[in-house]
This record gives sequence, C-alpha cells and structure tokens, in this order.
Amino acid sequence: MFFIPGPVIAALTFPGVIIHEAGHLFFCRLFKLQVFGVCFFRFGNPAGYVIHQQTEDFKAQFFVSMGPFFANTLLCVLFCTAAFLPVWELKVFDPLAYFFYWLGLSIGMHAFPSTTDLSHLWAQAPGLAKKGNLLAIVSLPLAAVLVVLNYARVIWADLGYGIAVGVLGPIAIFRALAR
Amino acid sequence: MSEATCSQCGQTFPVRSLFDLNGSTYCGPCVQKASREAKERGQPSAYMPLINKSICARCNTYIGSSSDAVQIGSLRFCATCGPLIKDWDYPQWLKLSLAALLLLLVVALAHGRKYFHAGREMYVGERLVTAGHYADALPHLQETIRIAPASDKAVLLAAKAALLSGDVASAAKALQGHNGGYFEDASKPEVREVDSLWKRASGALEKADQATKLEAQDGKEIEAARLMHEAATMYPELPALAFAAESFEEGVAFVRKDYDAFLAIAQKQWKEHAMAQTAAALSSALACKFAISGDGSYRQQSEAMLEKARQLTQGNVDSLKVLDEFAERNRFRLESRQIISKTEYDRRFRSGKTASK
Repeated sequence: MFFIPGPVIAALTFPGVIIHEAGHLFFCRLFKLQVFGVCFFRFGNPAGYVIHQQTEDFKAQFFVSMGPFFANTLLCVLFCTAAFLPVWELKVFDPLAYFFYWLGLSIGMHAFPSTTDLSHLWAQAPGLAKKGNLLAIVSLPLAAVLVVLNYARVIWADLGYGIAVGVLGPIAIFRALAR
Repeated sequence: MSEATCSQCGQTFPVRSLFDLNGSTYCGPCVQKASREAKERGQPSAYMPLINKSICARCNTYIGSSSDAVQIGSLRFCATCGPLIKDWDYPQWLKLSLAALLLLLVVALAHGRKYFHAGREMYVGERLVTAGHYADALPHLQETIRIAPASDKAVLLAAKAALLSGDVASAAKALQGHNGGYFEDASKPEVREVDSLWKRASGALEKADQATKLEAQDGKEIEAARLMHEAATMYPELPALAFAAESFEEGVAFVRKDYDAFLAIAQKQWKEHAMAQTAAALSSALACKFAISGDGSYRQQSEAMLEKARQLTQGNVDSLKVLDEFAERNRFRLESRQIISKTEYDRRFRSGKTASK
C-alpha cells in the first residue's frame, strides 16, 4: 500500500469534493436549515465542509448527511457509464472518454459522508428505528457500512468504491439494456 | 458572570438561570406564569433558556438583548453573522460549474453514443454466444469490431462465434484486425480457447486442402476421401467438409466401379444441395449407369441434369468453363459407353496436358 498525502488526492479529485459539499448545501437549503459556513475546496483536512444548524427532523438530517453520497454515486455512474465502454471493454483510445472517466471516478471517490455526518445520523437513528421509522431502519445498516468504509479510506476504500461504482454500475446498466 | 433582570419581578439573576419568552426575559418562577398567561391570550407559549438567545448561534459572541441581533427562525445571530446567514446562497461560480457539469454530462452521453451501440451489440453477441447461437451472434460482434477492432473481448467473442459456426474467414479477419492476432495476455482462458479452436479449424482446413490435391490424382481417391473425412470429423462446425467428404466418396465408388453407390451419393447430394456441382456429379453418375446398362432413360436423365447444371451456373464464366470441360467427357461416355477417368481422357484426346481428373 502506498501513501499519497490527502491534499494531493483532494487536488487530483477536486470536482468530487466540490460536488459533495454542494450536495450538503443543497439539502440544507431544501430542508431550510441555517448554514453557518461553507468551504467547497481547500488544501487541508477536511478538503471541504458545510457547517449547518442541527435539526431534530430525522428526514432532514438523513438527506443532509447522505444526500451527497447518493448524488456523487449517481453522477459517478453516469459519467463512468458514458466512458466505460471505450476505456474498459472496447479498448478505444479516446482522450475525451478518459477525461469523463477521471471526472466520474473523482466524483465517486468523494461519495462517502464524513464520520461527522454519520455521527449525527447515528445518534438519532437507533431510537427512531425502534419506533418503526422506515428511513431510520434503512439508514442504520447503511451508516454502519459507511462508517467502516470511512475508516478504510487509509487503504483506498474511497477509490475502491469509485472504481466499483464506475465499473459495476455501467456493466449492470449495459447488461440490462442488452436483454 | 453576566446578569440580567426578570421583566416580571424586577429581580436580577445570572443569565444562565433566566428564560426568554416572546422576546422578554423571565426568571424561573415567573416564566411559567408568563407562559400560561401567553397561552390564555393565544400567544406563543414556548420559552427557552436565555443563554441560547444570548450568544450568536454561528460565532458564539455574546449578544445579550442587543437590538442589532438578528433572529432567524429560532436562532439569534450577531450583527456580523446575521446578514451572512440570511444571504447564504450558491456562489455564482458554483452555479456555473454545476451548469457546466450538466453540459459535460450531456456531451459525455452524446459522445458515448457510438460506444453504447458497439457495447450493446457486444453484450447481445456475448449472450448469444453463451446460449450457443454462434451464427446469430457473429453479425452483432462484427458490428462491435467495426467500431472497436482492438477490443480483446469483442474480437475473441467474434472469433469464437465465427469458428464455432464454421466461418473461418470471419474469424481470421477479426483476429487479423487485432494487432495481427496478437494478445497481450495470451494466458487468458478466452485467448487459449480461441487459439485451440483456431488450431483445430486450420488443421482441418489443411487436411481438406491436402485431400483436394490428392483427389485430383488418379489412384489417390481413397486416401483423399479418408483425409477429407478426418478433416470433417476434426472440424464438424464446417458442414462443407462433411459434404466434401461425402462427394469424395463418389470418387471412391467410381474407382471401385460401384456405380450404384456413385449414383446414390450423387442423388443424395443433389437433393440436399441443388447446385451446378451436384447436378454435374449426378449427370456423371447417370452416364456411368447408362454406359454399363444401356438403359436410355439414364442417358436422358444425365443430359437433363447437365442442362440443369448449366442453368445453375447462372452465367458464371469460371463455372461454365469447368462445366464445358466436363460436358465434353460426359458426351464421350454417353456416346461410346466407355467409362474412363479424366486423366485417361486427357491422355487420349487432349495430349495429356492436364494431370487432373
């Protein structure tokens, strides 16, 4: 396993950082939560952040925390789908396709919510899950997996997730379309 | 420690023990009474610790009851943070970037259209290959190769489909178009499978070629038929080899003077594949039967089949040339009732110019 400093990775994949933070901001505004501070990109740790008002509304908390995860994953699948065939299957040298694939992977790599995002979710979810809140029930295993993956970032779990989504997503789409 | 006065009883208390109700400050006992009264008047009755209202929710600066403080929802902010909170919007560059991203996505999807087509054809082809429908799969995979000739997967699938449907030429074309048949990882099972199929097919074609050369020589008919049968067994995916092996059996029957067997095979082949070649072979077999039996109906049938063969050439110059050569020998057989090989005929009537039968 080789080590590349976080800021270098963030710089190489900056579109993903910006989209992740834009996702937080979007859901904060959607659920009318006050935003106290936003940084879309910086050379530091974290590479970006959105400081916002805490809320007791679990739905708002869920989407503010997990929204970027879904948005980044979706955009990763879309960009990688556009570039997957020439890059992986057809072996066509197309620089534009490689650019789109980099963009897709950059976005996918920054899909994971931060441990802070997940901790807010984790604090409310168990109690609500006991009361039968469906979103809380769904969020529990998802948050658990994401917490583990977050810690596994040191072994490139974020890159692994980006590649997995950028490869398996398009394969699933094309196989479904070929039926 | 900061202190403030209860608006109800007028006493002073530490800020942390006071409460806020509808913008007024109350001590613990007074706030409950004020809350009940507010409720009776139909006003908001919820109160909160004053400390929460006394510091800016963003920067934690003490704002107390400052008139500059800004109330947004249930939160209070200092004069500096308030406008910032209120006006927090998407920056212009972010809006433009997101618009550019969406545009890029559209461009990416439009740019990938030809690849989607190629990919779809490949996956359809792959599915058909998996299902064993090799001939059906081949056109799909050829379409993929047209767009992506360097794709290992598409080329290997196309070569496999072509070889397993007896189309060696298409397999050769697909492999040749992929760096002259070179694959970086030759140990991949897919490469090994196609390599094995290719060796089997090309080995069979080599044998068939040898058989064809032997068949043209007098006295080698049996060996030629054996080799052609071996080729057909080796590569059953190419039915033409089995057909050729069967037609070589005509030569064996001719050499053994077993004209009934010759006729039976020729009739079967004509029935299965009505073409100039099978019509001429049947004409030849019928002429042999006439030569040994003298039965005029065989002669009539032989001449009729020769005419059919001529029609089936559809004016093809090469086929007509071959047929004219045969017609001359067949006429000799019908008129003389002598059965001789082509070599013998050439020796007698064509100064032995050609060695073939």
